[in-house]
Amino acid sequence: MSEPADPIKEEPRADGQPGDKELVERSQKGDGAAFAMLVERHQRQLYRLALRMTGSEADAQEVLQEAFLNAYQKLPLFRGEAQFSSWLYRIAANSALMRLRRKRRAPDALGEQPLELSGPRFSAEGHLEPTSNSDWSQRADERMMSTELGSAIDKAVKELPEDYRTVFLLKDVDGLSNDDIAHALSLSVPAVKSRLHRARLALREKLGEFFDSGAPAE
Amino acid sequence: MTTPVQHCKECVELLGEYIEGTLPPDRAKALEEHLSTCPPCITFVRTYKATGRLCRSVMKSDMPRELVTSLKSFLGEHVPGFSCTKPDSGPAPSGVAADSGRKKV
Repeated sequence: MSEPADPIKEEPRADGQPGDKELVERSQKGDGAAFAMLVERHQRQLYRLALRMTGSEADAQEVLQEAFLNAYQKLPLFRGEAQFSSWLYRIAANSALMRLRRKRRAPDALGEQPLELSGPRFSAEGHLEPTSNSDWSQRADERMMSTELGSAIDKAVKELPEDYRTVFLLKDVDGLSNDDIAHALSLSVPAVKSRLHRARLALREKLGEFFDSGAPAE
Repeated sequence: MTTPVQHCKECVELLGEYIEGTLPPDRAKALEEHLSTCPPCITFVRTYKATGRLCRSVMKSDMPRELVTSLKSFLGEHVPGFSCTKPDSGPAPSGVAADSGRKKV
């Protein structure tokens, strides 16, 4: 029989506020104000997760309400073997997935899912082909605020397969850790890293095409 | 002995871990040795890094203030004793929320 996992230790917070562990314990004893502090602390990250998974602000709002309410109702079951934030992400991700599944019952909801990701091209000897090799990084920084560039990025990200897009957005745009993403999406950390890398490679190709197409500067 | 990174393809495969700093030291060293002799891969690293930077600058999304308020109101109705200790400190919305009204779950 396996031993139960030890509750995780918690470092003191730099802002002097009570840590999640203490707030969870107070919430479990019925302290609604402590739960409110947990909500305030985690709502923005949870919103980004919900928004990235559902792609809709309205859906993200409902996911957020459902997730925090579920978390509150399930708090007596939380034993502290994982970070509270990871546990919360998992609840929100499940809520978002349920919502997506319900929507996909509608015909054509998956009609635009691309099947393959693009990436760099190599010669038979494994060297980069010149088409994958123009240096647009400097131009990219100069045109960071360009509307055209913004549209190109938006389009390229939307064209990623959903599983890759979610991981990419959570990691590279929202700054979640690999561990939190893996926990929320029920993936292994290597799977998170692999999807992230492939998504970056595909987006890099699309951005290269944008810059090489000679789109006019703003 | 360090196994060299022979080809650009191998370099590209290792790049994600290298940039995160999670590549084992011997592989990181081999990759750096390859980069020191391969200008196309240096360009590749620059554009690979720029991809994440650009997407972050364009797609960063903050929680709209209206949503902070509606969530607080919703939970206030369902969680006994729920009250926020501070006034809403959410960022100003970057645009109008698609549906910022309170929703019942």
